[in-house]
Amino acid sequence: MARWGMVIDQSKCVGCWTCAVGCKAINDEPLGYWWNRVLTTEPDSSAQIAAPATPAVDVPHGTFPNLDLAFLPLACQHCNNAPCEKVCPVGATFRRDDGLILIDYERCIGCRYCVAACPYGVRIFNWGPAKREPDFVIGYGSDYRTDGRLVFEPVRPVGVVEKCTLCVERIDAHEQPFCVDVCPVGARVFGDLDDPRSEVSVLVNQEGAEQLLAELGTDPNIFYLPSSHPNKVSD
Amino acid sequence: MVSSVRTDLPTAPGLARSPWTWVLGVLALLGLVAWIYELGHGLAATGMRDVVSWGMYIFTFAYLVGLSAGGLIVASSAEVFHIEALRPLARLGVLTAAVFSAAAGLMIIPDLGQPIRVLNLFIFPNWTSPLVWDVMIITVYFLFSATELWVMVRRPERKATLTTLAFIGLPLAVLLHSITAIIFGLQMSRPWWNTALMAPIFVASAILSGTALIVLIAWILQRYQGLAIPRATWRWLAGLMVMALFVDLFFVASDYVTIAWDNIPKDRQVLDLILPGGPYQLTFWFEWVIGGLVPFIILASSKLRAKASNLALAAALILMGVYAFRIELVIPAFVNPLIQLPPGTSLGAVSSSGSFQLIGHYSPTWVEYLITLGMFALIALAIAVGYRRLHLSRTIQEAAEHVAD
Ligand code: SF4
Ligand code: SF4
Ligand code: SF4
Repeated sequence: MARWGMVIDQSKCVGCWTCAVGCKAINDEPLGYWWNRVLTTEPDSSAQIAAPATPAVDVPHGTFPNLDLAFLPLACQHCNNAPCEKVCPVGATFRRDDGLILIDYERCIGCRYCVAACPYGVRIFNWGPAKREPDFVIGYGSDYRTDGRLVFEPVRPVGVVEKCTLCVERIDAHEQPFCVDVCPVGARVFGDLDDPRSEVSVLVNQEGAEQLLAELGTDPNIFYLPSSHPNKVSD
Repeated sequence: MVSSVRTDLPTAPGLARSPWTWVLGVLALLGLVAWIYELGHGLAATGMRDVVSWGMYIFTFAYLVGLSAGGLIVASSAEVFHIEALRPLARLGVLTAAVFSAAAGLMIIPDLGQPIRVLNLFIFPNWTSPLVWDVMIITVYFLFSATELWVMVRRPERKATLTTLAFIGLPLAVLLHSITAIIFGLQMSRPWWNTALMAPIFVASAILSGTALIVLIAWILQRYQGLAIPRATWRWLAGLMVMALFVDLFFVASDYVTIAWDNIPKDRQVLDLILPGGPYQLTFWFEWVIGGLVPFIILASSKLRAKASNLALAAALILMGVYAFRIELVIPAFVNPLIQLPPGTSLGAVSSSGSFQLIGHYSPTWVEYLITLGMFALIALAIAVGYRRLHLSRTIQEAAEHVAD
């Protein structure tokens, strides 16, 4: 059984938001919903826990001429020890054997306990009827089920939680997640963490890719190569 | 001295003719209307969004759970510790326990995005979730207090059964509060909650607010229904309140000191929100001064606490203080997410300031206020009806005559 994971090379990321917009398009995310965001940070601060230096994006940290700028693309980390899964009272959030954390839109009761429990702030609740501009469905356009459970709908019902699915429908079709495909600089690598020869495993085991907020023990399947170790991901 | 049942109690007008019934009824109805509005518009009708994703319903829920404790604790203590002075309030106590636990369970419903699926909690329970345990214990607690009430009223001769029930009631109340506490206490995503002290704090504040509630109701009955509550009973209640107040604030203070001394940014950030000068300082003043120091002085002074009306005042202030504590617990925990980098968290909505929020904001909407107010009105109605239908005035008076002053 594979365990799907991703390595994001922060030294390559140019902060263009293509992955975020691509994700938004293929998953029909309505106005005000971002499953995937590109945060502005500083190098080597993958576990940002203090207040940011500035509320604005793309603004470097530090004082001139000692300026530092880095980006942290952030979506669901598909944790192996996922707090969202553990707190979900009805098992609507579940972990597939290959490590994907998914949400069953037919079972979620909308209690938002998972939103409170996720340390990464990547879950989005459907507060009211979604707005789309232009107002038609783009992207996948059809429902997707795995083990009989509805884990994707083009228009999610009001009152349930949604988030990155690691592009489950593409993975099941032996394709890469969309954000990996669209990244113009190849900063994202996708693969099987259980296969020691896969590129993601090599980056994790030999090049020092790290988990976000690793100290919490959530054990994500998404890893980051800090921007201070440039160009570990081959072109 | 066993005297006959008093029949000279002032007969208050029937519930249906009391203007209060109408006021409460209208408030409850308005709450219902607000809920129907919310069902039509989704939770977008509330002030919650994806940064502060729990609000008034949840802190009110935690408050109601706490209030359901006091009654059972007072009632069980009378039996378990042989405190005769508390016996007159035993049935009243169990009645409040039943009403408040039911209300706490109901309070969750308007917070759900898919209320129609609420039975999923019983069909697909995920046992690693503290919420499932809480739903179960609230259900058990409600059924238990309803049963105990039934035995008290219908089978009062079954002394042994009542004693057994009292012995079960006490640990059950402690369990209820501990489980409600760990809904919050286990979440490492929210440093403000993630303390082993959470369960002790919840148990202490439940005993505190629950006893204060009994004091307030007893005082209303004495003042407006002409019941004579013995002085010894007031003394016990005052003692319980002051002890619980001290222990509760002691636990909270221990938590503050740990955070302040460690000075870890993610923890310190939250403390700074609520300490004087911070944006949530109002909860601090209510918890520590209006609902802390002032009632403490009233309860500590033998002169002040001798008057039942002063005790009622202290109880009312304590009730406000504990509500402030619940707000302080829930809201500030959300304001600063662990990963707080520009542009912030995706809101799940588009507001005038965009679709991201870096620092959380929350203010309840009229929908939330009306639903919450309606719930309190419903509770007051249920207690009034229960008080009448179960003839509590008679049993309180009977038991009171056994209490030596
Ligand atoms: S990042 Fe959050 S939502 Fe994703 S698996 Fe981990 S805890 Fe769950
Ligand atoms: S909001 Fe839905 S997915 Fe999240 S914990 Fe509640 S039921 Fe589970
Ligand atoms: S894996 Fe798919 S769903 Fe997840 S962030 Fe990338 S594009 Fe979005």
